[in-house]
Amino acid sequence: MSQPPRDLRAINAGQSVADHATRLDGLEKATGAARYGRDQIKKDMLWVRLIRCPWGRASLDSLDRDAALATPGVVEVVVSGDAGEYHGDSIGYVVARNRRALERGLQALDATWTRLDCKTGILDDEKARAPMGDPSAETAKAIDDAAFTFEATYSTPVQTHSSLETHGLMIEPDGENSIVHASTQGTFVVADQIGRFLGKPRSKIIIDCEHVGGGFGSKFQIGKEGAAGGLAAKTSGEAVYSFCDREEEHLDTGNRPSLLCKVRLGHDADGTIRGARFETFGGTGVSRRGGGARVPSGRFEFGTLDSPNHQDIQFNAGGPRAMRAPGCPQGAFVEELLIDEIAHRCGLDPLALRRRLDDSERRQRMYDVAADLIGWENRADTGSQTGTMRTGYGIGTCHWGKGRAPAKIEVVVHPDGHLEVRTGTQDIGTGQRTAMAALVAARIGVPLANISVAIGNSMLPAGPASGGSVCTPSTAPAAMAAADLARERILAGVAEREKLDADRLTIDDGVIMEGGRKVIRWEDACRRLSEPVSVTGEFDGQASAHWGEGSSEGVQAARVEVDCETGQIFVRDVIAIQSCGLPLVRKTAESQIMGGVIQGTSYALFEEQVLDPGTGAVLNANFENYKILGSEDCPRIVPVLWRDDQTGVRALGEPPVVPTAAAIANAVFNAIGRPVRDLPLRPDRVLAALAEPMAERVVAAAPRNADLENRA
Amino acid sequence: MNPFAYTSPRNTTDASALAVPNGDFALPVLKSGGMDLLDRMKEGLERPDLVVDLTRIDDPTLDAIDAGRIGGRVTLAMVAESEELRKSAPILGAASGSAATPQVRNVATVAGNLLQETRCWYWRMSQFDCLRKTGDDCPAREGDHRFHVIFQDGPCLMVHPSNLAPALFVLDGEVEVVGGDRTRIPIRDLYADPAVDWRSASVLSPAEIITGIRFKSAPNSAFIALKQKQSFDWPMVSGYAVLDLDGDVIKSARTCAGAVAPRPHPLPQVDAALAGLSIHDEARIRAACEISVDGADPLPGTAYKMTLLPVAIRRAVAAAAHSAGTARGGDA
Ligand SMILES: Cc1cc2nc3c(=O)[nH]c(=O)nc-3n(C[C@H](O)[C@H](O)[C@H](O)COP(=O)(O)OP(=O)(O)OC[C@H]3O[C@@H](n4cnc5c(N)ncnc54)[C@H](O)[C@@H]3O)c2cc1C
Ligand code: SF4
Repeated sequence: MSQPPRDLRAINAGQSVADHATRLDGLEKATGAARYGRDQIKKDMLWVRLIRCPWGRASLDSLDRDAALATPGVVEVVVSGDAGEYHGDSIGYVVARNRRALERGLQALDATWTRLDCKTGILDDEKARAPMGDPSAETAKAIDDAAFTFEATYSTPVQTHSSLETHGLMIEPDGENSIVHASTQGTFVVADQIGRFLGKPRSKIIIDCEHVGGGFGSKFQIGKEGAAGGLAAKTSGEAVYSFCDREEEHLDTGNRPSLLCKVRLGHDADGTIRGARFETFGGTGVSRRGGGARVPSGRFEFGTLDSPNHQDIQFNAGGPRAMRAPGCPQGAFVEELLIDEIAHRCGLDPLALRRRLDDSERRQRMYDVAADLIGWENRADTGSQTGTMRTGYGIGTCHWGKGRAPAKIEVVVHPDGHLEVRTGTQDIGTGQRTAMAALVAARIGVPLANISVAIGNSMLPAGPASGGSVCTPSTAPAAMAAADLARERILAGVAEREKLDADRLTIDDGVIMEGGRKVIRWEDACRRLSEPVSVTGEFDGQASAHWGEGSSEGVQAARVEVDCETGQIFVRDVIAIQSCGLPLVRKTAESQIMGGVIQGTSYALFEEQVLDPGTGAVLNANFENYKILGSEDCPRIVPVLWRDDQTGVRALGEPPVVPTAAAIANAVFNAIGRPVRDLPLRPDRVLAALAEPMAERVVAAAPRNADLENRA
Repeated sequence: MNPFAYTSPRNTTDASALAVPNGDFALPVLKSGGMDLLDRMKEGLERPDLVVDLTRIDDPTLDAIDAGRIGGRVTLAMVAESEELRKSAPILGAASGSAATPQVRNVATVAGNLLQETRCWYWRMSQFDCLRKTGDDCPAREGDHRFHVIFQDGPCLMVHPSNLAPALFVLDGEVEVVGGDRTRIPIRDLYADPAVDWRSASVLSPAEIITGIRFKSAPNSAFIALKQKQSFDWPMVSGYAVLDLDGDVIKSARTCAGAVAPRPHPLPQVDAALAGLSIHDEARIRAACEISVDGADPLPGTAYKMTLLPVAIRRAVAAAAHSAGTARGGDA
């Protein structure tokens, strides 16, 4: 029936600055030679571990500080609290000479707790259980005027951060200075935060984060583990190592908050939405805020919309931190599934309805390509299939606005022709290092092999933190400016010596040319330098030619198979189309998109933090029971870099994770004829949905070509 | 982890003697691959003062695979890859190859797999006490028990974790033991009755060491795991079937369910219903498998397993009939 989609990876050829560059640090990372902060283990250093509450809410009864201090190797026990508000909450820390002493010290501490009543989710709060509020008079009228009303409730789980390299830092004294090996996505942010705990001025602090094992929004702050490390370093004057273990990583390094969303809307027989009210409840654990969700996203026309009704709901769990496109994947899941449900009610092809409700011209063209590549023509009507294995197709969308931050990049030209790109901005695994090198190489006209990169250190030129997808869009203009300056300097020298017009000189693959004539090799031109030449390119955060004015758009299409006897979902293919202005390095750009799809698939099918309803203890603070996608669960992914006529570098970090779960949920709806309105799409939920009647249709299905006509 | 002494005896007689609590060591423990034991020690669930490591014992029979016998120290990876077993009892390779991850399977042993402890997430967390530890309650009953039983054979609601044990049930397997009065224990007697003893992982005495497993040959045998994730996941429910065929007719059948009860859960009523059916009689096979849930008493969170169990058994029967035998999947 459905033939496998064509492999069209080749369509990305020629779209980027560097088509064939591979990660500069790939080998180092694969062999383990790359040293992360977490690898900075020295023989003589102190180990720090927080004393954590084992229950959702509890008060401390007793603690044997003396016994802990008497444990050989334990040097300090700091207790600063006597109650915990969530599993993983900390009340102090222990410092010891080695890891074993640390563990024994914590054991000797023998903290005993009394469990207290706690809340474990959004629905433990009355506000969330209350019936929907009344829409404003205007919205109410719009809804009433429509031919049909529709109401539904959707939910998404807490998705925990769990970086491959856990959160933490290692602090090393260096004379007057402290060198902080931090696992961070903000070199300069950490430098500003850690001084308070170290008791040192900013000028005496050096941050090193040459390699970072992921962050996704959770590593903008040093966290409690970092603060305790700073205090211990200040007290002892010694080297201090403070990193979370895997369990702590799940408990207390932030998450994508859960969402409960109630919707009431009015729609006409042709799928036009006249008016809608959305109520959203964000599960923020013990935090007061941070539970917002982008729904509706603004991508689709909803008629008269009630003003946002959002409430953050507290309960006894760790609080959220930004996570890749905060608020967006959960919002997209609700909104896109809602649209498919409306389409089904009206007997419309959901793609046709989406085209009507979406006014982005770029996405309109992306819809065509996505439909073609996924094989949309093979899509059976929602709920029309029988049999055990049913195939479904679904679409999701995203957009990402423009953001920018000041950045500086230094380029040093050495007399041997070698170029050094220097930037303090961190590479959290996205490929920042490779992107900067490839951009400078291409801009000057020399092979990538001529370039090395010094990155992730606060002694290097300042740049943005990796957040809001602004990092590459902001550093790229600075790198282009620096490359231009370096190139001009060398060409000016050549022009002067050779009595040529500098404006007529070009550089091609390391050879300086005038017209078609070879003038001199880049290396030989540089040999004339008496010392290395340093130039710095700067991006002031304002609009410029090198900066990509405009937003990034994306459309993803998923094909799934659902085993209707077992409720298992197998995601077979995801077409992921993404615009990002000018892609720098093809492979890392594709990998950014594929990573988004993988993370989104994992979110759609597996990930959820599970709290024990009685005690608030996190039952799955490990990778055995906190399920994440593995190799066998990974769909075939076709990333499409959508270039159009765009220049300048735009956001790519976050947007690709936004549409995936939505597209998969829609595909599942298409396959089984009932929406599953709660993430993750677990087998038990699919089976429960299958036990329900088929989703209602309020308008008889229109023949397919009528759909197409409606669009015009 | 607590400090402990370590020893690696060269023969099973010494190992068996060392494993018995005595004046020097009150809490000795046997270690094979250590995949399960070390996890429990790290979580503080187990605080042995002596670890008796079986990996240095000089006895090739511990590592041997034959048509009807596997040494206790053979790894799950070796079972999964054995050509010999693929012919004599494909169900064993399928069950072993589907467990855990390649890394785990390269270390985990047959004996350790049979005697591993429950994965109940309450039990695995040191802050919870429960019936299976020293307590009087089961926190899973009122808690989140989505991975727990549908057959409440005792007060503890854990499901038996081993992929291999139910396979031995349908193969009429036995475990070989040394160190006690007996040398063979039928697999059906290896685990205590959960209505009577819900704390022990087996009926073995501390001195008894499993040296191998024995089983009948069963070319028409198959295993099916229904998992949420196909990489690195425990089965939600698993089904095991051995068929004795006369042409296309099932002369006799042995079926068993995994991940639904505190022990592997044999299904004699299904076996009886399958006897005499043609392997092509889908409707009657389906009906026979439907009764696999007879006697089940699911928890609110495990109702979905009621749907899964008949499917797992039916698919295992179908695979066994076509002696494809192996439903792999789950190579992380
Ligand atoms: C991530 C992960 C996923 C897993 N998924 C699965 C799965 O899907 N299916 C499955 O079946 N298993 C699974 N397992 C469990 C794994 O298969 C077992 O932990 C492993 O088989 C235990 O074998 P071992 O040799 O390492 O045992 P050990 O840890 O050495 O021992 C386990 C227990 O058996 C005792 N013991 C060991 N050998 C003997 C002996 N010869 N005589 C007497 N007592 C002995 C030990 O004292 C100990 O109590 C998984 C494990 C992990 C870590
Ligand atoms: S199911 Fe058994 S092991 Fe789990 S908490 Fe209950 S009694 Fe303990």
